[in-house]
Amino acid sequence: MKKTSSRYIGVFPLLSIVLLIIVLFSIRYGAVSITLDDMFSAIQKMTSGEEGLNLTERIFMEIRLPRAILCVFVGASLAVGGALLQALFRNPIVEPGLVGTSCGAAFGAALYFALGATFDFNVGEYTLPLAACLGAICSTALVFFLSQSKQTGKSSVVTLLLVGIAINALFLSGVGFLSYIARDPQARSIIFWNLGTLSGANWPSVIIVGTSTIICLLFSLRYAKHLNALMIGEEEAQFIGVNLKSLKWKTLLINVVMVAVATAFVGVISFVGLIVPHLLRILKGSDNRFLILNSAVLGGVLLCLADLLSRMLLRPAELPIGIVTSVVGVPIFIILLQKKNYFF
Amino acid sequence: MKKIIIYTILALSVSACGRFGNEDKKKDHEERIVVISKQYNEIIYALGAEENVVAVDVSSTYPPEIKELPTVGYHRALSTEAILSMKPTLILEDDNIGPEHVITQLKKLKIPMKQFGKYENTIAGTDSLMREMGRYFNKEATAEELCKKLDSDMKKALANTDSYKEKPKVLVIHFGRASNIYLVMTKNSTAGKLIEWAGGEMAVQGDRGMKQFSPEVVAKSDPDVVLLTDYGYDKLGSMDGIADLPGVSTTRAFKNEKIYRVEEHDMVYLGPRTGENVLKLQELIHQDEKNQ
Repeated sequence: MKKTSSRYIGVFPLLSIVLLIIVLFSIRYGAVSITLDDMFSAIQKMTSGEEGLNLTERIFMEIRLPRAILCVFVGASLAVGGALLQALFRNPIVEPGLVGTSCGAAFGAALYFALGATFDFNVGEYTLPLAACLGAICSTALVFFLSQSKQTGKSSVVTLLLVGIAINALFLSGVGFLSYIARDPQARSIIFWNLGTLSGANWPSVIIVGTSTIICLLFSLRYAKHLNALMIGEEEAQFIGVNLKSLKWKTLLINVVMVAVATAFVGVISFVGLIVPHLLRILKGSDNRFLILNSAVLGGVLLCLADLLSRMLLRPAELPIGIVTSVVGVPIFIILLQKKNYFF
Repeated sequence: MKKIIIYTILALSVSACGRFGNEDKKKDHEERIVVISKQYNEIIYALGAEENVVAVDVSSTYPPEIKELPTVGYHRALSTEAILSMKPTLILEDDNIGPEHVITQLKKLKIPMKQFGKYENTIAGTDSLMREMGRYFNKEATAEELCKKLDSDMKKALANTDSYKEKPKVLVIHFGRASNIYLVMTKNSTAGKLIEWAGGEMAVQGDRGMKQFSPEVVAKSDPDVVLLTDYGYDKLGSMDGIADLPGVSTTRAFKNEKIYRVEEHDMVYLGPRTGENVLKLQELIHQDEKNQ
């Protein structure tokens, strides 16, 4: 046992350093270039309560910095969500949106874009995240409700998986319908939201997503050991005293909160939740205590890198981040898959 | 797989817009205006007030020389940093920009933004807009000339219309670039107004400006003339390509080979050339009467 833990030790500090470097790069480069001096003087002025930041310093404080931090939190949320669900379902193709969360969010957002003007419901800049979050909660609740077996009142993991796929398809066709009836600019908004964007990042969104990420991450780490037991088998887990039902609901709840909150602010970002845990498994191993913690960091690294690229490739225009995550993630993933003999 | 295809197409179409790479040739200008409105841009160039315009949105395509300017993207999918990298001292926009959070960010950074007055979508309204913009850019005399030309062109066009005996039914098809689908413009759109002024009748009704293209809509309307906007026409390439659009090959317009290409920027907003455009449309849709 001692031997296995020691092989994991170096990873976390190393990834953290990489994360820090990527975040710095991400703040430094973009359509507008921000030097280290600008950053220092902005922070100095902010901490000393001095007024009169110049434009570059304001871009740093109000656009770049919150965006980079939001990136880290969203990447962490999606990756941890993926790690949790893959462990729970003991299935490698699972991604965090599987229980209906992201398609529900997409549907809520599409509803806002297509019909928002006709409803008398408006809470300013929070209307869109709220609509997306409500959509996510509705669809996920629907998945949970429908996966309960009528005879036994219990839900098996397989049923949950299948119902999730079905409900996802249903909500996606809802999104399709809404973009079909929407006007041209609204349809455009729906497409862009479904590809994800971090350009709306601001401090309130950082605080909300950050809080949910940190709290959920702490809870996830608590259940990591039980998830390890579950990896061996449901019966074996129960045998060593894991309350399977409660573990299942808790894990799902954590995943839903993390993914719903993150998706609500940045749109649907695919692939991060799927590949980050796999990358770590390929590189090191599948102890969930290791996976969950490092997925959080590596998720942040990957999303930050993707965001940096999305801003740099077509400068000054921005590519939707969903495109970049796939384009960057897929080759790395495939190369690693082919190099190593990989067992889930 | 489907998703990957969509991503690739999107990535390619974005990178195909070479205008993002245009160089900023006005680096030394103190006043730097970013104009995000097709209509404003055409008027500004017509006024000869483009001196300090440093960047525009990607849909602003008239006059041709505007394509030399760098762009800040699609007007409903702007990026704050793309705009800021142009170091704007003023942003002109016509209240049709998005996403919402970009506007919030720009306001927070205190970048001056201005809209001109909102006038009716009529010739009189267009005159008022051109006069207001003329005052703003100190080009009152030019603005007055533009209004005079527009009014006289329109007078000529409307006189033509009175003399026509036929009122051809016209179907205007527009290629919607958001979801790569064809749309038909309805009576209620700007194109509908132009066709009416040109002495034609819009083949499709509807309370919104555009409708989804469907074989039934086309077949039911059975137009005498079909107009396709530039991008869609060029994409289909030929009459054979157009015949593949469902429903089109059964129409009278197709049988009589009355399918024409029109410039999108002539059909979607009113401006100083609207009178000219109506005259051009008359030549397209009333060819028979001319030949008699």
